[in-house]
Amino acid sequence: MTGDRFLRWCARSYAQLLWVLRVRDSRERHAIREDGERLLEAAHTQGPLTLATTWLALVWDLVFVGARHDVAQALRALVRAPGVTVGVSLLLGLGVAATATLFAFVDAVLLRPLPYAEPDRLVMVWESNVSQDRIREGPAPGNVVDWVDRNDAFDAITASMRVSATLRGRDGGTPIAGAHVTRGFFDVYRRQPHLGRTFDAGEFEGAASITSRQASSGEPVIVLSHRLWRTLGADPQIVGQTVSVEGRDWRVIGVMPADFVPDAAAFWAPWDMRVSYRGPRFPHGLPRDARFLRVVGRLKAGMSLEGAQARMQTLARGLESEHPDTNAGWSIRLFPLADEIARTSRLELLLVFAAMFCLLLLVCANVASLAIARGVARAREMAIRLALGASGGRLTRQLIAECVLSAIVTTVIAIVLTAWWVDAALSIAPADIPRLHEVAVNLRVVSFAAVLALLVTAVGNAVPTFRAGRTPIAGALKDGVALSAGASGRLRAGLVVAEIATAVMLLVGAGLLVRTFAELRRVDVGFGTSHLLVLRITPDAARYRTGAQTTEYYRRVLTSLREAPAVESVAAVTALPMSTIGSDFARPYWPEHARPEGKALSEASIRMATPGYFGTLGLPVIAGREFTDRDDADAPRVVIVNQKLARSAWGAGNPIGRNLILDYQRGPYPYEVVGVVRDARHDGPRSEPVPEIFIPHAQNPYLVMNVIARTAVDPAAVAQTARAHALRADPDQPVHSLTTMEQLLGDAVQLDRFAMLLITLFAVGGLITAAGGVYALLAYTVVQRRREIALRMALGASPRRVAKSIVMESLALAAAGGTIGIAGAAAGSRFARTLLFGVAPQDPVTLVAAVAVLLLVVVAASWLPARRAALIDPGHAMRI
Amino acid sequence: MPDKPRSVDPLLPLKPKVLHILLSVADGPRHGYSIMQEVAERTDGQVRLWPAALYGLLRELEQIDLIVESDKRPAADEDDERRRYFALTPLGKRVLDAEVRRLEAIVNHARSSRALRKAYRA
Repeated sequence: MTGDRFLRWCARSYAQLLWVLRVRDSRERHAIREDGERLLEAAHTQGPLTLATTWLALVWDLVFVGARHDVAQALRALVRAPGVTVGVSLLLGLGVAATATLFAFVDAVLLRPLPYAEPDRLVMVWESNVSQDRIREGPAPGNVVDWVDRNDAFDAITASMRVSATLRGRDGGTPIAGAHVTRGFFDVYRRQPHLGRTFDAGEFEGAASITSRQASSGEPVIVLSHRLWRTLGADPQIVGQTVSVEGRDWRVIGVMPADFVPDAAAFWAPWDMRVSYRGPRFPHGLPRDARFLRVVGRLKAGMSLEGAQARMQTLARGLESEHPDTNAGWSIRLFPLADEIARTSRLELLLVFAAMFCLLLLVCANVASLAIARGVARAREMAIRLALGASGGRLTRQLIAECVLSAIVTTVIAIVLTAWWVDAALSIAPADIPRLHEVAVNLRVVSFAAVLALLVTAVGNAVPTFRAGRTPIAGALKDGVALSAGASGRLRAGLVVAEIATAVMLLVGAGLLVRTFAELRRVDVGFGTSHLLVLRITPDAARYRTGAQTTEYYRRVLTSLREAPAVESVAAVTALPMSTIGSDFARPYWPEHARPEGKALSEASIRMATPGYFGTLGLPVIAGREFTDRDDADAPRVVIVNQKLARSAWGAGNPIGRNLILDYQRGPYPYEVVGVVRDARHDGPRSEPVPEIFIPHAQNPYLVMNVIARTAVDPAAVAQTARAHALRADPDQPVHSLTTMEQLLGDAVQLDRFAMLLITLFAVGGLITAAGGVYALLAYTVVQRRREIALRMALGASPRRVAKSIVMESLALAAAGGTIGIAGAAAGSRFARTLLFGVAPQDPVTLVAAVAVLLLVVVAASWLPARRAALIDPGHAMRI
Repeated sequence: MPDKPRSVDPLLPLKPKVLHILLSVADGPRHGYSIMQEVAERTDGQVRLWPAALYGLLRELEQIDLIVESDKRPAADEDDERRRYFALTPLGKRVLDAEVRRLEAIVNHARSSRALRKAYRA
């Protein structure tokens, strides 16, 4: 669990810091650590925010308040001695560490090759129908079998399907997610097992799916993931033993290595699709119009992606003419597997990384500006030394030595902080970022941090270092006013303009993401999301073999839950909006007597629901009625449809009482429409409603269901009672997960939230940095121009006017930087268009707000220097 | 050296945190974490001692002999033997008494002042 990981991280980092700071007395160190851990644990029970603030308080206490004899003294000595150098190194080190931390993510998720042999040859295979705008559909079993037999582009193709299952041990059932995979799975990935072996061809023959109610012909065998193996006790002798999954015993034949995690499965079981699709329910054998598999192939050696794409296209056209009913309009699309895995979070990660990089540049610019100012201030020292005979080269060498020292300090700080922060970032990163388990502080990340640290130190110090040798002696010696100040001033003004521009871009980005997130939270998903408890249950297939048993089981679960305190109503459905389990599939439909000829059939998502589902979900029934207990297995077949489907089938006409033909299970068969419900955004706020058909669960009993309970109080508060009530129906069937609809909704937008929070953080950081830059430049200018200002005041300029001229200067910088920034943001935001929701990339409100915030901050930053200018005493200043 | 009692005056007034620490060990030895909790509880969370600061202060108080590490421990079963217990020394007790008397005098003075009397009644 994330919360526990965060707690562990807090405790560990506190202990590490304590160790680093070496509190003299080891007993005292021990006592401080123990008490700190106790405080963290106490804070942990009150939520992550309290935990974070407690951690901060503890660190503050450790570094600055307590243990003052050892720590603070050392720190103070360190800070005082080389002063600015260490401060600057610290600042740069922080920036580099933050960038390197994000690089660790970008590297693991986007850059590093997949941990399989020749990963470039792995591609993901989709069915795609351009006219229906369905580009990535998991292929249908019938088509996959033909591809395997007929293709000449792949060494191997495999289909897999994730399943929720129950693992049974001494301490009851544990829910796990596994996958069943077709022949060729391990040929595609080509990864040697950690223990034992993988499946041989014979073991795939006749293997039923894990959740199937029928038994396999051979002995069931299973390959475990490294993680599940460790959970089971990491027994090196596990191969040959049996584990109980879904009420059956499976013989373990192998364990895969830790980084082998296709489908994020805990185990893999062989699957012969032909076994699952035979018998009277499937008169045409393997279905070609039920698209749900995950298919991966290994290209033949030397085969290019384009070549394979062309060959598969030809194959698809052949299947299209053989099976026009199901395959018309459907082609095959191939994508590199690595890209597909990273697809869901690529843009977010790149955006966050780019934003961090911008912030680092800002810090760099400020450091450079500071270095230039120091260079000017030291011009006199340099000039004197030059005049006394030091060579220009020697001065440059001395500055380079300072630079190297600062680079070393920066690098060390950066590497230490990166190692620390990657752990912290992992504990708060959204779990749906793919390949998260591969994120680590490795040689690549450390090298990146080191190179970047050297680079930023060099950039920050380059100008003054190479100028030092060319200090004009005469000018610099005159009254301490360096001639080079003018040129340096222009360079620094240029840097500040660049800083402002970058800050504006960050601000616009943050503004757009904040508005996006606000829109996402505001979007009406179509039903009531509050006060809904969600229990996901997947009963053992071997235990509930018949439909009647399943119906009876859920009847008991729902009855028992209804008796739980504070529960107002309960119901169950196969595919709940935003829930990640349950069968979610689409089937063709048409209004009775109106089968469209010559064009592909429309498809609707099919869901099985128990009576009271719509009332419990808060999805309004617009016409007709809900399902009732009378819609049982013996009653006439009925369906409820959503508005979208009603409109597409009958236009404005009344659908109630009409028949809908659904090509499902028994082939095309009429169902009477008894109700119409409102459209819902099934896949979260970003998704559009799709046509949906609801079937009474009693008329088509599915095993895996999402049970929902509408509660009178906060659903989290009654979760455990509800779980206990659900268990009464059958103590051996665990509740796989217990969550709330609000949590599911939060999960659906967690990546959006993550990106928004980080970018906003960077924008604030950028704004502060830019403000610091403006302030430093103006403050320095005021000091430099003291005589000029004094002269103007002596000649009659009012203090007010002097102050105004300083503020105007800052506004000129802001105008220049703002214009460049807005142009950059407008150009850049187009790339991030797909991340946005309900807001245009060039949203005027955001642009205006960003500029307004920027002007405010810049004027505020110039206020102090302006005041100082206005307070200059002409007489005093002229005398110096 | 034990013959001449040390004067407590130079040690007064006590820093608020020190006063709270001495008060918390006045009724018997306590370990660090329990001092932290007791102070936080008694002051409704207004005064919070964090570990590094606390042990720094405890070390200082030990050095000037106001508290001492104690061998007296509560029943063994609820105790971790590595824990350090701190108790008030006789000097510490005198300093605490003197400080409380000093504060009492201030409070009494405030009570007798006319302007504040109403506030006390309210």
